[in-house]
Amino acid sequence: MAMRLGLLATVFIAGAALMSLEMASFRLVEPELGSDIVVWGSLISVFLGGLAVGAVAGGRWADVRPSLAKLGLILLVSGAVALAVPLYADAVLDWCYPGEGAPLPAEWGTGGGDTLVVYHPPDMRWPALAAGTLLFGIPALLLGMVSPYAARLFVREMPHLGTSIGQLYGVSTVGSILGTLGTAFYLIALMGTRWLLSLNGLVLVALGLSLAAANRLRRNV
Amino acid sequence: MNRPVILAAAAGALVAGPALFWLAAHGAAEEPAVTRYDRESKYYRIRVVDYPKEGRRCLHFARSRGIQSSMFLSDPVKLDLRYSQSMVAALALHPAPQDVLLVGLGGASLPKFIQKHFPDVRLDIVEIDPDVVRVCQDWFEFKGTPNTRVVVMDGRMYLKRSPKQYDIIMLDAYAADRIPFHLTTLEFIQLAKSRLKEGGLMASNLWEHAVNRFYHAELRTFQAAFPRTYLCKAGDSGNIIVFGSLAAEQALKEDWAARAARIAAGKDLGFDLADLVRREYEHLGTQKIAEKPLTDDMAPVDTLRREHPRHFEEAQS
Repeated sequence: MAMRLGLLATVFIAGAALMSLEMASFRLVEPELGSDIVVWGSLISVFLGGLAVGAVAGGRWADVRPSLAKLGLILLVSGAVALAVPLYADAVLDWCYPGEGAPLPAEWGTGGGDTLVVYHPPDMRWPALAAGTLLFGIPALLLGMVSPYAARLFVREMPHLGTSIGQLYGVSTVGSILGTLGTAFYLIALMGTRWLLSLNGLVLVALGLSLAAANRLRRNV
Repeated sequence: MNRPVILAAAAGALVAGPALFWLAAHGAAEEPAVTRYDRESKYYRIRVVDYPKEGRRCLHFARSRGIQSSMFLSDPVKLDLRYSQSMVAALALHPAPQDVLLVGLGGASLPKFIQKHFPDVRLDIVEIDPDVVRVCQDWFEFKGTPNTRVVVMDGRMYLKRSPKQYDIIMLDAYAADRIPFHLTTLEFIQLAKSRLKEGGLMASNLWEHAVNRFYHAELRTFQAAFPRTYLCKAGDSGNIIVFGSLAAEQALKEDWAARAARIAAGKDLGFDLADLVRREYEHLGTQKIAEKPLTDDMAPVDTLRREHPRHFEEAQS
């Protein structure tokens, strides 16, 4: 029973951290790559892409001698990466879309004539996708592994498979809702973007360590 | 398009045409507004509405009743909104503006005004929404001149990319219900500052109608970035322009007003610029503001906008 509650808490927290990180990613990237809808769309897609790959990978790994400790390891690494993101965010953003010093497109000369001269924006699709993937691809992938892995540990009897999976998904999604609302309503104003990333990182690391500790306890019993 | 759709459209037009005509003929007295354009763009819902009784055409974003821009149908160049008149004071705060950047096109009232009355000024405009540019051309009589160019881009992205140096950067990019936080921060204002020529200045249109912390935080941010800062109110409109200047000397009210009189001499601006400066000038300088400057890391503009400043709450209680 304790293990099942622990697993529900795990997917809840992982779901909350995932969406909190996604909100933070908007704040982190927008000043450098602009507030264009292309940027928002790219970041959302990167997170969904990470979840998809993570779900497949996590599911496969879960079938090879699953343990709480390994689930803890996934969360520990995802938290560590989230903690590290602020350290290299600027370098990644600069590399994906060099701003200062970059030459202007040739056609941006002086205008002329009575018809309005309108210059259109650079294509931000690839820079936004690249920056999103490099900064948040790994944490999204790792957090995507959590649900199928937790499901493997959570499900005891096949006749109740649907009930169990449904419980896990429901709880994880409620976590995501609270992570989104909490970040949007309070955390963005309470702490800066970098602290927000760090907070999520710390929570995930702590969760990972707790699972590892719980694993030891269970074995010792 | 298939046949039923065409038929439905034709039927709709048959019904709607006379209905609109009837409305125009009979409903005008009660409901004087005529919507000319109403479409979703990438960023807003853009509406162009005529108010024939007042002789005005207005640009609205989203559902808000807030007016982004207003134009006299009889005189498309005349500045209608008070804040746009106060923005023009920037041209008198700088000794000889040649290169001006406007971030946020709105209904193109400032560009048209500058094109007509200050034709030698080289005007660059950055606007994020291509549909706004088109609407200005189609509905607000915005045309090109050899000294005008429009860049469709995020304002900050443009400043980062373009090495061009300006005498004046005007920022009119905050809607009452949508403030792009990355155009409010110290990092952004430092970037804009780095694109100013010696003695250049930056002016930003703010909104303090409902007393809010964002307004104070933004003033604080300007104070942190510029050695000289001023305010110019816009009557009771709720708008207020904050100016940050790199000039060596502080601008005194009388000097600013005198220069305003000089640049307005012989021109029919449609309002008294010198009088406006005399009436609305306020020195911001070292006034103490109990907010921290906004930064890229910490700029909760949406939250700050809803909160009253501390001194305001103390005064209330």
